Amino acid sequence: MEAKYNFADRFGDQVLRCSKCGLCQAVCPVFGAMLRPSYSARGKMLILKEVMDGTIELSDELIETLFQCTICKSCFENCPSGVDVPEIIRQTRRDMVQIGSCHPAFEGMNEVLKNHTNIYAEDEPEDFERERNKKAKYVYFIGCVGSYREDEATMSTLDLLDRLKVDYTLIDEVCCSGVLEDLGYQINERLARKNIDLILATGAKAVITGCPYCSRTFNSKPQYAELNDKGIKIIHVTQFLKGMDFGVKTDKLVTYHDPCDLGRHCGIYEEPREIVRKIAPRFAELRHNRVDALCCGAGGGVRGAYPKNSIAMARRRLQEVEEVGADVVLTECNSCVHNLSNAKLRKQKFRIYNISQFINELMEGTE
Amino acid sequence: MDETVKKALLDIVREENFSDSLIDLISDSYDASEHKHRPDVAVWPQNTEQVSAILKLANEYKVPVTPRGAGTSLSGTTVPVQGGIVLDMLRMDKILEIRVEDRLVVVEPGVVYDQLEKALDSYGFFFPPDPASGVVSTLGGNVAVNAGGLKGVKYGTTKDYVLGLEVVLANGSVLRTGSRCMKCVSGYDLTKLFVGSEGTLGVITEITLKVNPKPPAIATCTAYFDDMADAGSAISETMRSGILPRTLEFLDDQCIVALNQGTDLNLPEVAAMVLAETDGFTQEGADYEMDKVIEVFERNNARGITRAYSPEEAEHLWTARKSFGGVITRLKNNFIVDDTTVPISKLPEMLTGVKAISKRYNVPIATMGHLGDGNLHPNILYDGIDPEEIARVRKATADIFKLGLELGGTLTGEHGIGLAKAEFMPLEHDEVAMEVMRSIKRLFDPNNILNPGKMGLEV
Repeated sequence: MEAKYNFADRFGDQVLRCSKCGLCQAVCPVFGAMLRPSYSARGKMLILKEVMDGTIELSDELIETLFQCTICKSCFENCPSGVDVPEIIRQTRRDMVQIGSCHPAFEGMNEVLKNHTNIYAEDEPEDFERERNKKAKYVYFIGCVGSYREDEATMSTLDLLDRLKVDYTLIDEVCCSGVLEDLGYQINERLARKNIDLILATGAKAVITGCPYCSRTFNSKPQYAELNDKGIKIIHVTQFLKGMDFGVKTDKLVTYHDPCDLGRHCGIYEEPREIVRKIAPRFAELRHNRVDALCCGAGGGVRGAYPKNSIAMARRRLQEVEEVGADVVLTECNSCVHNLSNAKLRKQKFRIYNISQFINELMEGTE
Repeated sequence: MDETVKKALLDIVREENFSDSLIDLISDSYDASEHKHRPDVAVWPQNTEQVSAILKLANEYKVPVTPRGAGTSLSGTTVPVQGGIVLDMLRMDKILEIRVEDRLVVVEPGVVYDQLEKALDSYGFFFPPDPASGVVSTLGGNVAVNAGGLKGVKYGTTKDYVLGLEVVLANGSVLRTGSRCMKCVSGYDLTKLFVGSEGTLGVITEITLKVNPKPPAIATCTAYFDDMADAGSAISETMRSGILPRTLEFLDDQCIVALNQGTDLNLPEVAAMVLAETDGFTQEGADYEMDKVIEVFERNNARGITRAYSPEEAEHLWTARKSFGGVITRLKNNFIVDDTTVPISKLPEMLTGVKAISKRYNVPIATMGHLGDGNLHPNILYDGIDPEEIARVRKATADIFKLGLELGGTLTGEHGIGLAKAEFMPLEHDEVAMEVMRSIKRLFDPNNILNPGKMGLEV
């Protein structure tokens, strides 16, 4: 018999397999910050189990928890029963959108991307003082947060690429729109087409992305398969910089925050550490690192929809920075930099950078 | 629920610590057992004063109150079976004092076991009773069910470490029990009365725990047995051989088959596997005890004994045991995990008896356990769709309890009675004992508002 909702058809066996052990509570960033059981992965699965039993229906009443998940994948990594909660949540959000139950912020983002080129609906992009859409070996794809919110960090990364004499070009990029798939919608075909055409026109053999989410979208979504079919490689900037010699070092105590999109979602843990260790002989791991890293709280649409809770999650992560007494937190995701910086308290004197930005400042002599 | 009560609760805890939203009522309906029931409201008190005000109110309006920690109970202990208020203690989560010079810590009930472990680590101390759910379970919950763990064989269970408590009684008054001394025989031992009382006598708001210096040296081995009774004998003989291992974990043939289906471990499909661990303050000490364990194991026909010579090798030996929780959930839709405990010398009979029950009712039972202290975990696997199958599962469960009791054992070694074993209480406790327990319940909670419906105390 066909189930009423697609999540039950696709993932019903997994929802039922959740043994209610609650081990996900130990790692769920939303639960950890709010200490409310209904926000944990187990809470969400119990609610979906009741939807499957017919005790309750998907409805607006469930938005508060089902749309409050950063898709950080910690629960899946720690689930003894192998329940893929992030995928179940993504499907459930699609089901919710279909019946007209959606968080207004998520709905808003989908609307914005119908009429604009980026998630912030900003129509005048920063030009980063560089010629765009030229022929080059690489395309550097910035992403929305790097373009419109962390533009200083991006400028620094671009300066570093120039110092390293990389033959790259920027393009008139538009949002990759991968995030829509987390929010219950589909990738915007118009935006995908535009990015593909612009990339192909440069004749580049590879796209370097500053944003790990964009990287993931280009690599895994069928709407961008053409890039792979035409032999264009997609690499995150940490993969690109790995193995390079920068000739600079810092004597500061440095730590590294694993972005969920780079770590748990792509399995890239060692490349960034290799770079960081090269420039920072004094390196300390955060208490939760690599596959166990705590999410900064920005993902899955949570920063837009639940800003207060998103900041609370970032604050928990920054407490771990305080614990190790680091002077500098490095990461390589503008979304993480943005959320962590917004959450930083005045008394917390450490600095938060992308790795590429930090290296550039060391080379420049300003750091 | 009376709107006056809701309004009063809101006044006590404020909006951010109160919910009657569907999402919270559903998630608080469950623990890790197969039981469920919705509460009417959930509240998150921040301090003892709020707990006191809530209980006073609930007592006045005769509203059931079910205290809850991480909700990892395996017996339905935290399921609000009569509705009412779920008192979620998670937000009282501060470690108040660490006084290693006095060998104690003082914590709020919402502190997670693992949080305390990490805090104590830098002092070279630890809190030994470590439930398998220790990364999430709260100390309040551990005390309320007198949780055990993997090191119980040497270090005992939670009750052996609780020095004192602060408890809010049903009428809202605040009781302090015990002391902050290593020894105390002043008056009745009220502390012990509350440990394992499953939230039926009062709400724990502060806990004083004894802590131990952490032995840095560990020795680990695994062994296989072709005959399950040999494994049982090996374990009981180890326990009388003059040494005291900290862990003796057992997995039966069904567990091994499940592990081979769900992992790439490729274990030999024998009747039983045992993991032993010894510890001490010198490596020589831990190794001396491990030599003895291996000697006993060999005498009881163990084969394939593997000893770890590094922490990595030890970690590898633990893989099978640690993977079990994951594979067991994938065999069938449902499982009931019991914790029947028998005198150590009765292990061989108990193990073969459980096998016979599995066969009698044609119900798969994968038995593992912390056998060094006689604590079995028979996992009864079922789909839960066919009523006839469910009836067989119920009979098998009842027979396991009866067998355990016949052998001089107990219904529960570490999970508690809750809802799951409530109906079996009179099998273990005669009418005199049951009536004493009921009188205690009436004394502390005359209106039966505290976690009602649990432990088989209601006539």
